[in-house]
Amino acid sequence: MGVVLGPRVIDAGLSLRLVLISPVAVAAGYPSPAQDYFDGRIDLNAHLIKDITSTFVVRVTGDSMERAGISDGDELIVNRALEPKDGSVVVAVLDGELTVKRLRLTSAGVVLQAENPRYPDIPVPSLSELTIWGVATRCLHHV
Amino acid sequence: MSKPAPMRQMQEIALVDVNCFYASAERAFDPSLEGKPLVVLSNNDGCAVTRSPEAKALGIGVGEPWFKIAPRAKEWGLIARSSNYELYGDISARVMELLGRYSAWLEVYSIDEAFLGVKGSPAALLQLGREIKAAAARNVGVPVCVGIARTKTLAKLANKWAKHNPAFDGVCRWDSVPAGRREALMAGLSVVELWGVAARLTKRLNAIGIHSVLDLSRADPVRIRDKFSVVLMRTVLELQGTPCIPMEEERVGRDQLIFSRSFSTPITTAAELRQVLSVYGQQASARLAKHDLQAKVLTAFAGTSHYNPQDTSYPSVCVPLPMPTADPVILTKAAHALLPAIQEGVKYARAGIMVTDLRPTGNQKPLELFENPHEERNIRPLLEDIARRYGRGSIGLGHAGIRGGPDWSMKRGMRSPRYTTHWDELPLVKAA
Repeated sequence: MGVVLGPRVIDAGLSLRLVLISPVAVAAGYPSPAQDYFDGRIDLNAHLIKDITSTFVVRVTGDSMERAGISDGDELIVNRALEPKDGSVVVAVLDGELTVKRLRLTSAGVVLQAENPRYPDIPVPSLSELTIWGVATRCLHHV
Repeated sequence: MSKPAPMRQMQEIALVDVNCFYASAERAFDPSLEGKPLVVLSNNDGCAVTRSPEAKALGIGVGEPWFKIAPRAKEWGLIARSSNYELYGDISARVMELLGRYSAWLEVYSIDEAFLGVKGSPAALLQLGREIKAAAARNVGVPVCVGIARTKTLAKLANKWAKHNPAFDGVCRWDSVPAGRREALMAGLSVVELWGVAARLTKRLNAIGIHSVLDLSRADPVRIRDKFSVVLMRTVLELQGTPCIPMEEERVGRDQLIFSRSFSTPITTAAELRQVLSVYGQQASARLAKHDLQAKVLTAFAGTSHYNPQDTSYPSVCVPLPMPTADPVILTKAAHALLPAIQEGVKYARAGIMVTDLRPTGNQKPLELFENPHEERNIRPLLEDIARRYGRGSIGLGHAGIRGGPDWSMKRGMRSPRYTTHWDELPLVKAA
């Protein structure tokens, strides 16, 4: 039944439905029609991280990846579970340090490339001798 | 609260644990530590709690005090790290999440080990074990060993074997090993090394001719029950391949929370201890709220060091709370009930509080009469909100809020960055 309480006229059925599906509890007052459409804000974790157990955020130091759009101080989202492919931006272990490079798998061999002409390519005897820590999926570039 | 699992559904049980967990977590983010002797130190950099195989090879014992090892660290090339609980907690959570993908029955047994219910043919079970090992190394970056058997006790044994015998390559399924080799292994293991067998039982077991694990596995379970206990009878049955220790779901029904630390420098006055107890009262409040729990009883305690036999003092009080609560003001006040028992001038090395008789929040609304005025004014959410924005220790009740940490707080001078939980401490990767 419709109850009139001053200006608040709420159909009993409608108010019940609002309570059930709305994330914002409305005890009284005129219900906002927008609430029916509210499904939560954009969650960057949901969009940027596909696998929470294997994804890590790392910070870049140095400018050897400039031409790939990766600058000093940028953060990379790195997924350890991905299979590195030709062209992947990878975090590899070089001399005990985590290093970011472009991986090249060609008929001529395995090469770790910088994206800056001032840095030389690093040939690797074979993929099995290279420890790939993870594959970068996104760069959080500071603009 | 534990709920027995339907045992018939489950063919075997896998025990997965991370090798040298703390050291492995450190190495996952710092490859330069690979192959080097590494120890992780306990609270306040007290003693070596985790040793890498290289550190064990140097003869460093478990629990060896750091001050004894430190003078030779340089000569050995030994690297030490303070405990990085934030890192270990996150890596543990990732490993457990990963394991959960392999089985609907996951019992997290400790920070670095879990039991999983697994099904399949012997070959499929071995394959599953190898997949788990490979996934932990690839996805999280830590080495694990897997023991698979019909019972938890045997899974523990298989895991230990997988760890110590390189021929298994980290994965051992008990029943896949020829019986002769299993018996030889059990014959060489003393009963104390068995999971769930207390050291104090050894003498009595030896007296009736039971020395090795093999001896125990051949004992009559009923006789063991009559002479010892049902618990030990279960161990015998488990060794014989009959599952007796059911899988437990994650221990969500915690029945107590403890907040306790040893101090980097001893505390000698009630005023300082008041500050410590205030911090614990508020930590307990935050933790209870996080788990939607309220406590009915609070126990506060303090103690002098075991190394200092003079002036020993171990005061403790148990405070029944007027109603189940997670209110920081009430919990802190209750913790302060310990203060009259403190002897001024005595060197207290540790203190703590424990909240017990926990129950879910909001089952019954308290009568308005008993509703506590602090909760009405929402002090706890306010404190939490400020702590979240400005960091823990930025605000507190009474003397608890001191930025930079009061000087009794834990010493962690050699701690690595909190790589996965703090934005300012992310792992650095070189672009050079």
